[in-house]
Amino acid sequence: MSVSFKYIEKDRTGMSIQELVQRDTRASVSSNGSAPPVIEIAHLRKEYGTTVAVDDVSFAVHRGEIFGILGRNGAGKTTTVECITGLRRPDRGEISVFGLDPRRDRHELHERVGVQLQDSALPDLLRVREAVELYASFYREPADGRELIATLGLQDAEHMYFKHLSGGQKQRLSIVLALIGQPEIAVLDELTTGLDPEARRDTWRLIEGVRARGVTIVLVTHFMEEAERLCDRVALIDHGRMVALDRPGALALAATTSKRIRLTATEPFPDVLLSALPEVSAVEHHGPEVVVAGSGDLVTAVVLALHRAGIHAEDVQIETANLEDAFLALTDETTHGDTNGVTR
Amino acid sequence: MSTRALSLTPRQRRAFGLLVAGEIKIAIRRPVGLLVAVGIPFALLVIFGSIPATTRPLSALGGISFFNLYVPTLMVFVLIAVGLTGLPQQLSGYRQQGVLRRMSTTPVAPSWLLAAQTTVSLILAVIGIGILLGAGAGAYGLALPHDVGGDFVSLVALVLTAAATIGLGLLVAAVAKSPQIASALTALFFYPLAFFSGLYVPLQEIHSQLITDIAKGLPTGAGFNALHAAFTGHSPGVLPFLVLAGWIIVSSLAAARLFRWE
Repeated sequence: MSVSFKYIEKDRTGMSIQELVQRDTRASVSSNGSAPPVIEIAHLRKEYGTTVAVDDVSFAVHRGEIFGILGRNGAGKTTTVECITGLRRPDRGEISVFGLDPRRDRHELHERVGVQLQDSALPDLLRVREAVELYASFYREPADGRELIATLGLQDAEHMYFKHLSGGQKQRLSIVLALIGQPEIAVLDELTTGLDPEARRDTWRLIEGVRARGVTIVLVTHFMEEAERLCDRVALIDHGRMVALDRPGALALAATTSKRIRLTATEPFPDVLLSALPEVSAVEHHGPEVVVAGSGDLVTAVVLALHRAGIHAEDVQIETANLEDAFLALTDETTHGDTNGVTR
Repeated sequence: MSTRALSLTPRQRRAFGLLVAGEIKIAIRRPVGLLVAVGIPFALLVIFGSIPATTRPLSALGGISFFNLYVPTLMVFVLIAVGLTGLPQQLSGYRQQGVLRRMSTTPVAPSWLLAAQTTVSLILAVIGIGILLGAGAGAYGLALPHDVGGDFVSLVALVLTAAATIGLGLLVAAVAKSPQIASALTALFFYPLAFFSGLYVPLQEIHSQLITDIAKGLPTGAGFNALHAAFTGHSPGVLPFLVLAGWIIVSSLAAARLFRWE
């Protein structure tokens, strides 16, 4: 939360801090009621040699939500979930999952958290059924393997060797294995990377189905569309730092410093006519075509101002922001901020 | 290890059983290890057992036949094959592909897979040596140790040699980043170790003190010497066992220290 403040403070023309805080609170309340978070991370830091992979990341995940960790490749997402799942020891900071210490209580943690990690696999010559049966035997109260196989549409592949599975089938099998211990949390890392668009959409439906079973999901991804479609809240990570934490829609709205409208003016006019308006942050003029960036009730303000000057606006187009814009805006700003020493 | 194995819960025992069963299935589906550890020694046994010249006692070999001299060599060969072909490649492959990483997120530690692999190697060794002894004694007149003492010494020698070769295999698996590197490294060990077990030519026939001394210091030479003595009714002395124990301690400590799970 503190990190989203950081961003907002830098936001010159966007939403006020109060608005965003309200937004964040609303999002949390709607997803968790008053129950304590299932995952809490405070000031996590991890270095590999001289490289800082994760720096001062803090967030909380509530029961029943799909929590996204979004960032470019190498941003520190995987390291973060490796620390959450006890595979790596953080250099600094605190992590608590169900009140457990992921390193010390690894065994108990792994009973309750199902994990699908990047760069992990099964033996080439193990069959799907054998793998599911084997992994089921690792857990205290395993789910019904056959049922899970059927739910994920793998019954036709049941007797296939792991190495002969398609990318989509491997991913579905990894979901089966992440769920076989009936976990309360499933950590899914880059689940749809390398899948074709159709398989990706199928996987999204599956993830929504998993949440419907009451499983809290931590979803690591570098696909904006995926985060936008699935996640209740998203932590944006860039160069190891968390640059924002909010609902995807709110992020998209807040992050683009402005909405943009394009219009064609019937007559030339000086830029100051529009840039003087409180709603407007920038004006670009290309002959009769004008692009105006700003916030608030931008369209009304611009069209009215032009009208008062006796100018007619034609072909008014409004560009709405999505999470991708938010991502670019936020991460660019961070990089920029870092070089100027502004963020700290 | 054994005390820990005894303290496993029924659920853990079942998980370990399934792990071993899975590794056995994989070993059958890609039977390279089976061929090298069981097939090749058996083929050599059949060949040398069928040639009349090799089954005649020779005074140059101390009054025993080449065949009787060669079976201990073949038993040691089974153990090198079990420890050094298969085990390191399989484990380094598991690490490279992320099989160990996948397991490290479950309540069962990836070290169990190591234990399961080792168990499969031991099962292979028992099959390979069992076939050699069964077929050798049953069909080709192999002379087994004369008494219970000889049987016991042979058993100890086999167990220690197996532990030493598996220790070396685990050491290779610990340092090799890929199955290809593991294969290259094991080849480096494999041929010299096979040579000093007398696989290519009986070391007695080389008449070189240096070769004999080197053999005494290597796990395969020591293993062969102990087995040969036990099979011909002599006492092997303590030296082969001390040498084997040394190799076991060094290789397994180094493997434990150097092993990386990902």
